[in-house]
Amino acid sequence: MLETINLTKRYEDGQLAVDHLNFKVEPGEIFCMFGANGSGKTTTINLLLNFIPPTEGTALIEGIDVTKEPLRSKDFISFVSENVTLYGNFTAFQNLDYFTKLAGKRGLTKADYAKAMNSVGLQEEAFDVRTKNYSKGMRQKLGLAIAIVKDAPNILLDEPTSGLDPKSGQEFLNLLIQMRDKGKSIFMSTHDIFRAKLIADRVGFMKKGRLVIMKTRQELEGEDLTELYIQYMEERPESELKP
Amino acid sequence: MLKDIIKKEILETITSAKFVFTFLLCAILILLSVYTGIVNYRADQKEFSAAVALNKKNLESQSSYQALAGLGTKINKPPQVLGAISTGVDEAVGRVATVNVAYDPNLVDSKYESNPVFSVFGALDLTFIVKIVLSLFAILFTYDAIVGEKEKGTLKLTLSNRVPRDRLILGKVIGGFISLLIPLIIPLILSLLILLVYPNISLAGQDWLRLLLMFLMFFLYLSVFFTLGLLVSARTSKSSTSFLVLLFIWVIFVTIIPKLSVMSAGRLKPIPSVHEITAKKDAFLQQIQSGAQKQVMDWAKENSAMAAKDRKGYQEKLKKFLEDWQQDLTSKIDENNAALERDYQAKKKSQERLAINISRISPASALTFSTMSFARTGLDEHERFLASIRAYKPIFTKWANAKMMRTIDFSGSGQTAKVVLDDMPQHKFEPETLSKSLARTIPDFGLMLFLIIVFFAGAYVSFLKFDVR
Repeated sequence: MLETINLTKRYEDGQLAVDHLNFKVEPGEIFCMFGANGSGKTTTINLLLNFIPPTEGTALIEGIDVTKEPLRSKDFISFVSENVTLYGNFTAFQNLDYFTKLAGKRGLTKADYAKAMNSVGLQEEAFDVRTKNYSKGMRQKLGLAIAIVKDAPNILLDEPTSGLDPKSGQEFLNLLIQMRDKGKSIFMSTHDIFRAKLIADRVGFMKKGRLVIMKTRQELEGEDLTELYIQYMEERPESELKP
Repeated sequence: MLKDIIKKEILETITSAKFVFTFLLCAILILLSVYTGIVNYRADQKEFSAAVALNKKNLESQSSYQALAGLGTKINKPPQVLGAISTGVDEAVGRVATVNVAYDPNLVDSKYESNPVFSVFGALDLTFIVKIVLSLFAILFTYDAIVGEKEKGTLKLTLSNRVPRDRLILGKVIGGFISLLIPLIIPLILSLLILLVYPNISLAGQDWLRLLLMFLMFFLYLSVFFTLGLLVSARTSKSSTSFLVLLFIWVIFVTIIPKLSVMSAGRLKPIPSVHEITAKKDAFLQQIQSGAQKQVMDWAKENSAMAAKDRKGYQEKLKKFLEDWQQDLTSKIDENNAALERDYQAKKKSQERLAINISRISPASALTFSTMSFARTGLDEHERFLASIRAYKPIFTKWANAKMMRTIDFSGSGQTAKVVLDDMPQHKFEPETLSKSLARTIPDFGLMLFLIIVFFAGAYVSFLKFDVR
């Protein structure tokens, strides 16, 4: 489970990137966070990974305060970034093996790795290819394979579908659904409202560091998510926004 | 985990194109430089043996001791076997000095004198390759070690796992340094094999120790640039910026500081020119010679009565007088010249020391000085050798004067005494001992270790606070 309690980040230049953010992602749930560039989505992920300290509030992973026990909290989280580049001179196997060992998993065989890579749709011919020759879609899939092998209960994804072609994007979402069905808590920051609509159990809109609205899948039924997105991203006083 | 990080660092580097390129270039340059160094040493050795034999032959063929004293003996500087690794100043300074009764000996006929164009480019020895080429490679291997991983996104992915930052930086340092040493160690081992199997090259036990110490200096020097690279990589937000900053520091360290230090020392401690010293020597010579002529004439006047009475006794007395007079004359000239030379050398040495100490801020200078000391091709060894020749000069002069005066022929028979060299004093030179060379290089070792510790500590602390976003 992922949780933030009044999580706030103000940078040294005075910019308020995250403003008293409160949300929870339950096991078996996909939470999609929308927001324009600079709205605070990535900062939230950085706070959850303890890459930056919060100015105020708490980020919890499986109930562990990430600032108090940063290393232990990382046992319970996997991260897939917007642009998984990995080590280009390594093959998919080598990358997977290295990151799996960093995650503290030992004794896995090539067959285990092959299974994980198969499960994300990577072709066997690609296993021994250097990842610098991979397409972006293949790299994202490998990033997800790393997360699968780590088998952490929580997954953070930072705009994982940006730049993917429609087929790769759809395949990627199917994988996320599979992981959700296995009980993972998935937090995904994205601009991709069309794809997110298909898989999100809940969505949130961030604006100037604040979570301005949060809706469940049921609440979204009958709503035009595109219109909602535009409405919330526009520069309008919050009082005028549709609840 | 540390083992995994080290293994990854090594594997990532050795599978890269830059490693292959570095390895090939290092292997070619190092082997070529050592091989060329050995070939040059063999040629110098042959030249040295031939020059010594020729000198002996020349001395023996002299018709009289007068001719021998005027011609003098030639002292050749023996080539150093470790000069094949670090040429030092050996090619720039003279290799032969003429010791005769008239002039102060000086080492002349340097390789650069014969081929001035070489002085423009310098020698391509192992020290040069490590100092210039490998230090650049150290930068090439580290400029993106941290900031590059941030740009690629792999740092975030790595630190999203249970990886303590201190272990990650330690793994990067160890793995990265091993990767950097591979292109150096393999060609170095091959070079040692060449040294072992090459005919007529023999290294004494102390030479091997000296060689190992030189290699240690190479490793320390590369560690300085390696840790500097890590530090800059952990302090910048773009790998392009990191590379430019490192290149700038490299230029300052390798070229600017050594040149500026010589110029600054020249300004801070000026010394008289060689011409001024020569003029002073000539003035004293003129003064003393006019006095000496008067002395001879006075002696002749005083003893003119004896010349008429006892011709043989007169001749013996004249010989004795002339020997004493000659010894006195030359020793006065020698003393004066030696005093002038001492003063000049002291000032020169003081200026050199200042230049060396200023330039030691740069690890490149520290490497140059230390490897020269270990190879016995440095300025100090040159000065010691020159001093040994100057110390030999009065010994030779005394012997030559004695021989000349004792063999003056007053009989008018025209016969001259045969030149016999059996009792001629020989020039002796003891090369610097290893312990003295070590003592001389302590500041260089110290500086390198200091820089490594400072740069590593800086990189370590910077990485703990590094913004991975």
